[in-house]
Amino acid sequence: MKKKTFSILCLVIFLFSLTPAAPAKVYMDILSPAFQKFPIALPDFSALDGREGESPLFREIPGLLSNALELTGFFRTVDRNAYLESPETPEEDIRFADWRVIGAEFLVKGKLEETGETLTIECRLYDVVEGKMLAGKRYTGKRGDEKAMVYRFADEILNALTGSRGVFDTEIAFSGKKNRVSDIYTIQFDGSNLRKRTDNKALTLLPRWSADGSKIAYTAYPQGNPDLYVLNLATGKTKRLFHDRGLNLTGGWSPDGGRMLIVSRRDGNEEIYVHELETGISRRLTRDPAIDVSPCWSPDGKRIAFVSNRSGSPQVFVMDGEGGGVRRLTFYGSYNTSPSWSPTGSRIAYEGRAGGQFQIFTIDETGGSTTQLTYEDEGAESPAWSPDGRFIAFQGKRNGKSRISVINANGLNPRVLYEGEDLEAVSPAWSPHLNLY
Amino acid sequence: MRNHNVFRGALLFVLCLAVALVIGCGKKAVVQEEMGVVVKEPAKEEAAAETRPSEAAIEEELLKEKERQEKERVLQEAASFGDIYFEFDQYDLNATARETLKQHTDWLLANPGFDLLVEGHCDERGTAEYNLALGERRANAARDYLVSLGVDAGRITTISYGEELPLDPSHNEAAWAKNRRDHFVVTPSR
Repeated sequence: MKKKTFSILCLVIFLFSLTPAAPAKVYMDILSPAFQKFPIALPDFSALDGREGESPLFREIPGLLSNALELTGFFRTVDRNAYLESPETPEEDIRFADWRVIGAEFLVKGKLEETGETLTIECRLYDVVEGKMLAGKRYTGKRGDEKAMVYRFADEILNALTGSRGVFDTEIAFSGKKNRVSDIYTIQFDGSNLRKRTDNKALTLLPRWSADGSKIAYTAYPQGNPDLYVLNLATGKTKRLFHDRGLNLTGGWSPDGGRMLIVSRRDGNEEIYVHELETGISRRLTRDPAIDVSPCWSPDGKRIAFVSNRSGSPQVFVMDGEGGGVRRLTFYGSYNTSPSWSPTGSRIAYEGRAGGQFQIFTIDETGGSTTQLTYEDEGAESPAWSPDGRFIAFQGKRNGKSRISVINANGLNPRVLYEGEDLEAVSPAWSPHLNLY
Repeated sequence: MRNHNVFRGALLFVLCLAVALVIGCGKKAVVQEEMGVVVKEPAKEEAAAETRPSEAAIEEELLKEKERQEKERVLQEAASFGDIYFEFDQYDLNATARETLKQHTDWLLANPGFDLLVEGHCDERGTAEYNLALGERRANAARDYLVSLGVDAGRITTISYGEELPLDPSHNEAAWAKNRRDHFVVTPSR
């Protein structure tokens, strides 16, 4: 687990003197396709001590906050040129009507102070319609910690308006291929900090995060055979876990962290096994001469979605944790693969063919209400849910160039997370919270 | 006159001497040659004692080189081992694939000193995992057929590269058709 990059003193000022029974807006269904983005006003900050003066940070910090909130796809920053009120207006004098009239429903007012290397920022979130404060925090840290402070307050805003914090402290791992060899890379939710995590000089595929985010399992060919490895991100050490002749493919790591799903040919054809990490014991879950691959857990760790072509074409199936109660989930189309179970809900994302291209779909775990999520010209494959179940990462292409994109779980707000110049990026896997901020 | 005779005598002497010298020299040369043979014999034996193993080594090297060249030639021959192709999401062998595999079988039966690696490949469409499994199936389909035709199963290994190593990186039907293949790599037996 990555250490917190800095420590900030974080004080709740003005505790919620008002009832946090904040209106129907709170916990509104942000994943409904009818969801309208929250219009939020982010005026310049002012000096904490109330003195006159200018700092580039007065504008930079609300700018960073605007970027952070817009990354989520849940917010729209109201045009700064429309703001009527001066940034120095004290909290008690805010004229909410002036914010309502320009279409804002929420407002963040902030102050900051720079003394030497120390930076203090104070932010308040207001519900403009109700005319009250929803959250207030003061952060003290070093110059350069602005982004971290902003992400922490963005989490506060998300928590106040949607009921859970964001995923700014997560990373997306993927396999990046160049010149017939590939490696595992990671990139943060905001598209920053791209890092190459392996140096296998061989095909390196299918990254899967451990439940605590400290390890990544992958399949790679450094010894000629597709073996299964586990990389410890803190130490950089790698352990080869399985090297049965033939495929050793990674599946999901269980939510409790103790078990791993794998695919092996040790019994003669591709079957799914559950491997107990502590005892080192593997149990076989599928018994079928067909191809069985791509297992992933339900969030409670009691069921498993997987792909099988036992009915003639590759389809998504669900079984219980012991391999019993197998039922077919997808029936529409002749090629449905790559299931990923929402960590917070009952929906399963997968890739299926639609109009000659692969696109991302979601389906209820009972098999109902199939929804096509992407309409990418050059296709979308390999969906991976964010830990809060509000985003899906997938691989795609634009003009033949490979890219990893993120889309809201309602299919809105697609954004490119990584576009490879000469690196072919595939098989994204979303980390749990890593407490990066 | 006398002087003349003396001169003649001297000339004769010189001639005789010259003849004697020439004969002597000739004789000597022959002897020397014989001597050379005799004298040099032990020396040659010594030299031979030194050179014989190195000669053998050279010969061995030559043989090895010859073998290497032969293997090279055979491998080159084997490099023209044709790929076999599959339909999308399929791993059964069509008539053309079977015909190609029969030719590979003939070659393998005629060249017992070589092993075969069968690589299963897929086109880029579909999931990486599923394609890895599909590639494995494609490689195994070829292996099973070769074994059914009499190739020793111990000489064949299989590996799947799924969709990871396309022959043609383009994103169109023509490229995909080329990429859904089994590729064959012949190596000298271990």
